[in-house]
Amino acid sequence: MKILIIEDEVKTARFLKRGLSEAGYVIDVAADGLEGLYLAQEVDFDLVILDVMLPVLDGWQVLARLRETERKALVLMLTARDAVHERVRGFELGADDYLVKPFAFSELLARVRSLLRRSTPRPQQTLRMADLEIDLLRQRATRDGQKLDLTSKEFLLLTLLARRAGEVLSRTLIAESVWDMNFDSDTNVVDVNVRRLRSKVDDPFPVKLIHTVRGAGYVFEAGA
Amino acid sequence: MSSKPEHNSPAAPRLRRTLAFRLSSAYSLAGLLLVILATASLYIVLRAELDRSTELFLADKLHVLGSMLRERPDDEDALREEIELESAARRYQQFYIRLIDQHGAPIMTTPGMAEQLDLAELASRTRGRPGRSIAMAGRVGQPFRVTSATVAVGTPPTHSDTVQIAIDVSQEEELLARYRLWFWGILLATSVLFPLVGYRIARHGIRPVEEIAATARRITSTNLRERIGSEGYPSELASLAGTFNEMLERLEESFERISRFTADIAHDLRTPVNNIRGEAEVALARARTVDEYRDVLESSLEETVRLSELIGDLLFLARAESPLTELHRENVNIAGLLITVRDYYEVSATNEGISLVVHDGAEPLNAALDRSLMLRAVSNLVSNAIAHTPPGGTVTLAATSQDGSICIEVSDTGVGIPAEALPRVFDRFFRVDPSRSKISGGTGLGLAIVESILTLHGGSAEISSQLGRGTRVTLRMPALAMR
Repeated sequence: MKILIIEDEVKTARFLKRGLSEAGYVIDVAADGLEGLYLAQEVDFDLVILDVMLPVLDGWQVLARLRETERKALVLMLTARDAVHERVRGFELGADDYLVKPFAFSELLARVRSLLRRSTPRPQQTLRMADLEIDLLRQRATRDGQKLDLTSKEFLLLTLLARRAGEVLSRTLIAESVWDMNFDSDTNVVDVNVRRLRSKVDDPFPVKLIHTVRGAGYVFEAGA
Repeated sequence: MSSKPEHNSPAAPRLRRTLAFRLSSAYSLAGLLLVILATASLYIVLRAELDRSTELFLADKLHVLGSMLRERPDDEDALREEIELESAARRYQQFYIRLIDQHGAPIMTTPGMAEQLDLAELASRTRGRPGRSIAMAGRVGQPFRVTSATVAVGTPPTHSDTVQIAIDVSQEEELLARYRLWFWGILLATSVLFPLVGYRIARHGIRPVEEIAATARRITSTNLRERIGSEGYPSELASLAGTFNEMLERLEESFERISRFTADIAHDLRTPVNNIRGEAEVALARARTVDEYRDVLESSLEETVRLSELIGDLLFLARAESPLTELHRENVNIAGLLITVRDYYEVSATNEGISLVVHDGAEPLNAALDRSLMLRAVSNLVSNAIAHTPPGGTVTLAATSQDGSICIEVSDTGVGIPAEALPRVFDRFFRVDPSRSKISGGTGLGLAIVESILTLHGGSAEISSQLGRGTRVTLRMPALAMR
């Protein structure tokens, strides 16, 4: 999967490139709008990460010109300004997603993954990780054959973590997905709920599945 | 005169725009108009009176002569006395009389009449207009009034004679001329005097306004404490000064609020930045293990998350104040919204030994709200309530509707808020107990955000509290239906 980053702020471009490379993507970086537009037109990228404030051509212009061409790359806009009309303008011009600075890298990675996955949705009936098995149809989870006694919210939380195993999920994203709290809510609440889930899913078993990533959120994996 | 410089100078139009100029020109115009009206009407009355007295005199003379000729036609001495001598005795208002028989031959004439008047013209002017007084010029141009009448002679009348009378009215004309001269003189004097006096009066009247303006000019953000003294002003201006002072009061208050706010922001931004910087510096001072580096990086990440949250909250508040902010209203079931919040906080509350209950009314309440914002407002309140309620307490969420408005109430059985702190709890960065919220990690913006969300909805947030008994926050908003 090839991703183009059009970003003039050197440090931002550097950490985006490193982070996304380590996540397994092939990255190109352009430092201004014109260079970015040229690259995006010449090379077949799967995704373009586009900053709004750019020298030479700004992000809106790049987006508009890019949408005039044949290239069907997905576009994720980055901006420092979270005004509703900017968001609307981005979507009208054909942006596929929109992220406001400062953002959590885990959030960006999650968006990139979901954008690139969007084209090939595959419905799953069961999720497995180590000895955990989640039956999505019957809404039950078992570990080592034992049924886990979970509330509906706990089941939702576990499913979210398992579905996106290996990804760091931020507290904000978890609150939004499980409790429909789509704002920076009191994220301690997420910690309390994860702790409770852990007491049922992880504590009685030798292999731990839910791990805290300090300062970032939670990740679901069998190792580490 | 035509090369007067002030027509071209820019001062003239500027002067024309001043209030003093407008007032004084209005005063002088009104004054001049009054003077013109008064003097002109006096002149007209005087002139009419003079004319009337001349006419009375002529009528009187005609009457006297008529009755003499009718009753004593042969008393020539009396006639001579009347016609020749009486006029000669007068120095002013000389009059002349001529008595003509029915054939046109003169019987008796006041001496000198022929020198003063063209007698033929007199005869032709007065012919056919008996008893009327007619203006006529004398031989040297002096003004006369003349009249003539036919009178019957003897009783019973034997024949009739004609009486012609002319009176010199140059005295009256001179009086009127002097009057006109005075008139113009007064006009000239007042047209100079009125603007001057008017200007002085206007300047005097405007001086308090100028003082107020001067004070206003002096006031900048640094000396908002200055006020306009309101004594000694007329009542209209005193109320202006009062209004102005009230505005200054409000400005001063909001400036103070802003500067306090700025200081608080600086403090709250500085703390995490300082932590990141210090930890990084110390970590780099010598070689450390991978775990130590990891610890520093993780700590930095925590601090930046704190910073991001603070920036997000500040941006939210700034945006909520912008008049361009639009709500994304949708039809929201209030009880459903409260249950969403309860579900989110339920586990936290249970862990703290607090029961979290939702009281929804008998009938389902729906309103057009920005769901995500209202969720945020209620969440902030519930989060506060749980943080300040000891184990065993209860946090209650309730929704009611009364006359067109919807109330969402969040009440707790917690520690309460001191009365002196209550008015400030919605202020940004205000913390009832600064040391306490350091640990809980609140930004001190939660209630400010609640208030601005309610303001965006056209509603209000009210708080009441009793120390040791609990706190109740009521969110009141108009119950708009979805179109």
